[in-house]
Amino acid sequence: MIESSQSSGIKTKRFTWENTKQFFRDYGWCYAFILIPLILFVLFTVYPLVMAFIYSFQRYSVLGSEWIGLDNYKSLMNSSVFWTAMKNTLIYTAATVPVNILITLFLALMIFPLNNKSQTFFKAAFYLPGVTSGITMSLIWLWIFDPTGAGLLNAIFNLFGLDSVMWLANPDTALFSLILMTYLGAHGAGILLYLAAMGGIPKSLYEAADIDHAGWWSKLKNITWPLLKPTTLYLLVMGIISSFQVFEQAYVMTMGGPNLATTTIAYLIYDHAFQSFDFGLAAAESFVLGFIIIVISVIQFKFMSTDIEY
Amino acid sequence: MTTNQQQIQLQLDEKKDKQRNLWKKTGLALIYVVLIIWAVLTFIPLIWMFVSSLKDSTAITQVPPQLIPKQPTLDAYQRVFEVGGFARWFLNSLIVSTILTISNVVLASLAGYAFAKLKFPGRHTIFWILLGSMMIPGQITLIPLYILIVNTFQIADTYFALVIPTIVTTANIFLARQFMASLPSSLIDAARIDACSEPKIFWKVILPMAKPGLAVLGIFTFVANWNSFFWPFLVTSSNEMRTLQVGLTSFRYQYTADYGAMMAGAVLTAIPMFIVFLVLQKYFLKGITIGAVKG
Amino acid sequence: MSEVRFVQVSKEFEDNNKGKFMAVKNADFTIRDKEFMVFVGPSGCGKTTSLRMIAGLERQTSGDIYIGDRIVNKAHPKDRDIAMVFQDYALYPHMTIRENMSFGLKNLKRPKSEIDEKVTEAARILSLETLLDRKPRELSGGQRQRVAVGRAIVRNPKVFLFDEPLSNLDAKLRVQMRIELSELHKRLGATIVYVTHDQVEAMTLGTRIVVMNQGEIQQIDTPEELYKNPKNMFVAGFIGSPPMNFVKGRLEGNTIQTAEHVFFVPEHMLSTYKAYQGKEVTLGIRPEDILNLEQLTVQPAHNIIEPVIKVVEHLGSEFLVYFSIGEETIVAKFNADYPVKAFTKQQLYVNMDKMTLFDPETQFRIS
Repeated sequence: MIESSQSSGIKTKRFTWENTKQFFRDYGWCYAFILIPLILFVLFTVYPLVMAFIYSFQRYSVLGSEWIGLDNYKSLMNSSVFWTAMKNTLIYTAATVPVNILITLFLALMIFPLNNKSQTFFKAAFYLPGVTSGITMSLIWLWIFDPTGAGLLNAIFNLFGLDSVMWLANPDTALFSLILMTYLGAHGAGILLYLAAMGGIPKSLYEAADIDHAGWWSKLKNITWPLLKPTTLYLLVMGIISSFQVFEQAYVMTMGGPNLATTTIAYLIYDHAFQSFDFGLAAAESFVLGFIIIVISVIQFKFMSTDIEY
Repeated sequence: MTTNQQQIQLQLDEKKDKQRNLWKKTGLALIYVVLIIWAVLTFIPLIWMFVSSLKDSTAITQVPPQLIPKQPTLDAYQRVFEVGGFARWFLNSLIVSTILTISNVVLASLAGYAFAKLKFPGRHTIFWILLGSMMIPGQITLIPLYILIVNTFQIADTYFALVIPTIVTTANIFLARQFMASLPSSLIDAARIDACSEPKIFWKVILPMAKPGLAVLGIFTFVANWNSFFWPFLVTSSNEMRTLQVGLTSFRYQYTADYGAMMAGAVLTAIPMFIVFLVLQKYFLKGITIGAVKG
Repeated sequence: MSEVRFVQVSKEFEDNNKGKFMAVKNADFTIRDKEFMVFVGPSGCGKTTSLRMIAGLERQTSGDIYIGDRIVNKAHPKDRDIAMVFQDYALYPHMTIRENMSFGLKNLKRPKSEIDEKVTEAARILSLETLLDRKPRELSGGQRQRVAVGRAIVRNPKVFLFDEPLSNLDAKLRVQMRIELSELHKRLGATIVYVTHDQVEAMTLGTRIVVMNQGEIQQIDTPEELYKNPKNMFVAGFIGSPPMNFVKGRLEGNTIQTAEHVFFVPEHMLSTYKAYQGKEVTLGIRPEDILNLEQLTVQPAHNIIEPVIKVVEHLGSEFLVYFSIGEETIVAKFNADYPVKAFTKQQLYVNMDKMTLFDPETQFRIS
């Protein structure tokens, strides 16, 4: 809180009891305020991080782990299951994130010109499903995807004369089903971010565009979209990061199946760690996942450093 | 005096103006229609959950399904409670979420305040390390954390194990720092001159001003923990220690056929959050922009 | 005794972008008891840092600070017997005006009766009686300003510190508050240290003024002395509005030769400038010392120039006239009774009795 100083113009810093006391008088409270979070951080983030790194080079066992060097990394690189999981995760990400951002932007664009009352109503309406847990949503969709005619989706299919589909039990449609449910998921948070960003665009830009004979589409393309880029990028990166970690749907609805069709990286890590108790292999997989996520985050920081305040 | 030509021009402009207004009105009407349709679509899963929870065991498997239950019944809810443990799970979720909300609000606001407003050696370094750690996905630390709690501390299946890793999260410290930074520093200076001690400055000057921000932080923490699944799922083994989300998944495997009970359980799990949202709506709608991109 | 003394005080800041820089360099001065001392200078000159060091909100890197007879180098702000009024008033938004004003005394554990008495008294002085139970947000800018002053008054401190307190007010209110502050100083008989970037405020309020630039004290003097006898070109340029004009020239005998003109130096001044005979000098002339020849009843023999007027700015009772001498733009301030037109030639008289000469190398006034 107060910059350090020496008494009476003496410019050398000495480590004395007097200085130490002064240091604590000056900064004691500052460190007290962050002490507990720091201890917890070391205990529950730094220590596990180091240990995970060590485990990833070991064949872990409660009785005594064996050092096996890069074997875990080698075996996952050679494992077809790992690459299937990687492929599934990539498909899931590519099919969900951009589409959901477009849906979000589209909804935000429509809500923005409305009056305050309607804005609040739609904001709330689109946000509400977001407070439902992933587990709840997964259970509901499990029921909607029910393979019999009692499932809502098949009932609608039957209504139009189509045959029932084994949504989650068929390897060809299982991953697609998980993707489909995100489209009708919660877009509230993204909508709010977009609306805040839209509110931040100066009105004078649109007025200038009006005078320049710009139409609706031209304004969207030349003003709104470029100025919303930071938000879009943020949603893109956050979306990619969370979809790389998708787990609950795969666990509740399909257990990674059928035939590995919905085994994502996060699910695979869970499976290896807590079903086969191969902690070493799972740790190695988690580091591969971590590496991908850190690369994405770094790209985000690089592109957005001017748009985030710290 | 208007000449004939001016008259014609005036009429033309008027006509164009009318046309533009008509377009505007049609556009607006179209927007409402699309928004309402999409809103209904997003609500269908939730509506279906309610509808299904009110059907009896035969009605629920009926093909084609009844869109509105012909004989609404609370049988499914009764079955949920017969299974055993549901009330306890509910209580567990409430206890865990409440503890974590309080601990996060207190600790994150203190730390966020220190990082935003106090000058002390190492504050930048420490803060950047914390910030950087947010990039690390939970999956990496999860395994050692699990071993630490279950094997080293031997506290699996306790409340302690449920709450300890997230007593204060880095994300919350970051969020708190963001809104603490927006408070005027001169008030802290004024309080120092007013003979206020450092803890008292926090308590008497900062906290009252940070209330809206802390409310957001607290609400988000509560919802996140109420809805969290993976950690409670890993560290609980007995039926009594399960949280709602973990308990709910057990319906999936115990009662594969009983979708009615599953939906009733889902309703009971989701409703508290709906109430929280509807009551504290303004915090949700304003809060999301605090921590993310520059609004 | 409530004087404030700086002995060789320096303050070094560590900035993430700029690295280390000295905000205040070897400041050495005494603020006397009951004095209204104004610190003035452009932003970043170190005036606010000096004030904050007196308050104890920043700690000096080296040197000693005395308040009264006490060395306060490491004393906490609360132990320095000071009170401060902030630029943004820093009123606690969640407390009423009464709570705002009594907060400090409560923290010092003063008896309730004393607190009430002092708050009532301060409220009376500042006519805030009817506002005591309101919250700051319900008050106007001027009222908030008064509350901030009131909060300082109830502390009855040895030294009042003001950090640009009027800069958030509109022009009219600023003049009014200036008068009130002046009266308050007389009434309280307290030592006041006041920081501002506005030289008009400094000149009207201060019994003495410290002019600072880039962390260094340029001059400490009364307003009159600063105006008449600025120590260097910075002070001469900073004090006075519009600022002093500078023209480069050479001292030759009893004349100063500039690019276009020859100015005659009054005889009685010549001895002062002996050392600069034949050397480059900078001639300093205040805008009010350039006169319209029509104004004069006696026709002067020398120091008449006839430039083309470029721009005329009307300020009501007076107006500003701009023209060039060599490459310098010169401004003169005229009485509104003698109008001048732009783009015309005009005969002007330069009153060399009021001129100042500077050494162009050191920028110091030659004396």
